[in-house]
Amino acid sequence: MKAKWTWFLLAPPLALALVFFVVPVVYLFWVSLHAASSSELYGAALTLRNYADVLGDSFYLGIVRRTLGVAAVILGLCLVVGYPVAYFVALLPPRRRMLALLVLLFPLMVSNVVRAYGWVALLERRGVVNTTLRDLGIIDAPLDLLYTTSAVVVALMTILLPYMVISIANTLAALDRRYEEAAQALGAGPVRTFLHVTLPLSTPGIASGTLLVFLLTLSAYVTITLLGGPRSKLLVSLIYDNVTAFQWPRAAALAFVLLALALAFTGLLLALLRPGRVQGAGR
Amino acid sequence: MTAANPADVQLVAVRKRFGAVTAVDDVSVDIARGSIFSLLGPSGCGKTTTLRLIAGFEQPDAGDVFIRGARVTSVPPYRRDFSMVFQSYALFPHLTVAENVAFGLRMRRVARHDRARSVAEALDLVKLGTLADRYPRQLSGGQQQRVALARAIVVKPAVLLLDEPLGALDKMLREEMQVELRSLQQRLGITAVFVTHDQEEALTLSDRVAVMRNGVIEQIGGPREIYDRPRSAFVASFLGASNFVAGTVVARDASAIVVETPAGRVAAHGDRRVADKVHIAVRPERLRMERGGASGLPAHIRDIVYRGPVTHFYLDSAAGPLIAYRQDARAGDFTIGESVQCTWDPDSAVVLDEAHA
Repeated sequence: MKAKWTWFLLAPPLALALVFFVVPVVYLFWVSLHAASSSELYGAALTLRNYADVLGDSFYLGIVRRTLGVAAVILGLCLVVGYPVAYFVALLPPRRRMLALLVLLFPLMVSNVVRAYGWVALLERRGVVNTTLRDLGIIDAPLDLLYTTSAVVVALMTILLPYMVISIANTLAALDRRYEEAAQALGAGPVRTFLHVTLPLSTPGIASGTLLVFLLTLSAYVTITLLGGPRSKLLVSLIYDNVTAFQWPRAAALAFVLLALALAFTGLLLALLRPGRVQGAGR
Repeated sequence: MTAANPADVQLVAVRKRFGAVTAVDDVSVDIARGSIFSLLGPSGCGKTTTLRLIAGFEQPDAGDVFIRGARVTSVPPYRRDFSMVFQSYALFPHLTVAENVAFGLRMRRVARHDRARSVAEALDLVKLGTLADRYPRQLSGGQQQRVALARAIVVKPAVLLLDEPLGALDKMLREEMQVELRSLQQRLGITAVFVTHDQEEALTLSDRVAVMRNGVIEQIGGPREIYDRPRSAFVASFLGASNFVAGTVVARDASAIVVETPAGRVAAHGDRRVADKVHIAVRPERLRMERGGASGLPAHIRDIVYRGPVTHFYLDSAAGPLIAYRQDARAGDFTIGESVQCTWDPDSAVVLDEAHA
């Protein structure tokens, strides 16, 4: 009886997911297994050439490597900058914590495009940063700040940082402070209490924050396009390029490479951090 | 404190405020080495704050804390020689049973080899040797309690602090653990400070009990002393049911006084002058009912409640309602509505310092 109701309630979202997600993904995979065609979406012949091209071409592999590199740097920065902020936010009383999280979320309320042009205004050759540095006499000629991978990294990091902070802060705020007291009662000072107790117990937040930041980095497009130069293209830009060149099957294959990267990273992360061993363990 | 039995924990005129509330007010205690000391009282009486002051999780606003003779008032918890069993156990969920127990030894930088041996010994002591590789969430409440205990005793602390450690267990398991805890503590010779709101638990476990109320220690003494010789109505009623009778002293001798109550004259233990107004307390199990006797307070039985090992008799007298417990009461022994005389040994009636609140 109970099971029946569960299925009844689950049916609409499951049907939606099936029709609008599972079916298109399967279809996209089908597309990726064909040669390109000048008149149709994809050619008639079945082939693995799209995958062979992507995985055998040093250009593509270089971009995959760059994509992973950019994601790793952003992730590292978000963790290093985000954890202390999250720790501080989690210590606030509930009302102020709410307020702090809202302030952190504020940048996300501004459109992606507007935010990217904001960076342009800051970083361009006659932008705020270069003008200020020249006025201060620190530089003579303007620096090439815009259209670099660094610009992409900094801009993405500022967007993605709130995801990391909020994920970790929520875990830390829900953490029973008795664990830290128990560690102190057993002779652990502040540093070792943090390393042996607080940090491992916050792995669920670290895991969800890391996943969000990594997956959003993989799928970011506007920021990369507007702030990155031709030499800071990432996998997403490549997919777009192939679509606009009517190379639909190759674009589909690239999409699956991206999906495989995301899945592999998720699996690796869960295996490494094992957030499950902490979750659902009240006492 | 004598040199033979030095105090492992001393609180000297300790005071702690939280905002406008004084949680602990001028508390001084000496806790002898190798004894179990209980802080007993209702919630909000300051017993847990007192424990946390010993641990160093709270800083006193005034007064001093000593552990093994060393002043630790401003020493952080992790440098104090104690360990603690928390009410919710606070077992580290990401560590196995063995890793939980080893935690304190790791923090004390005990070599890996010695650590493993001590952990195995501690787990054997609490009969959990076979569960070393489980995670806390895979254990029952009673088992988690034992792990928390093993984790606390393995570091051989100067003092073991226990914050209502048995509160989350059901009654049967709790009574079993009380006996086990007591025997473990005596075997290891640990000094323990025990916080509880359960008077039976305090009486069962403790060498000495401090009854707290509103941040103040009302009375300190051995279990028998605080049960049989309560100094205040609060202590008398917190440690179990009591009969309170008010009256005036009309005669006295070396060991007892005679008190005139509205219902008649009764004897009590205490030192008061003639014409003093007094309140006396008598435990229900010390109150005897007699048929047709000449002495004691006349009363009639309002209700009889059978409770298995004891039967409770609710009585009305001119001095107020009374209650009597009788073991081994047979059916038809006494009946509702019957008139009886209530008496007690003078030694069983205690003169209180203050009136019944």
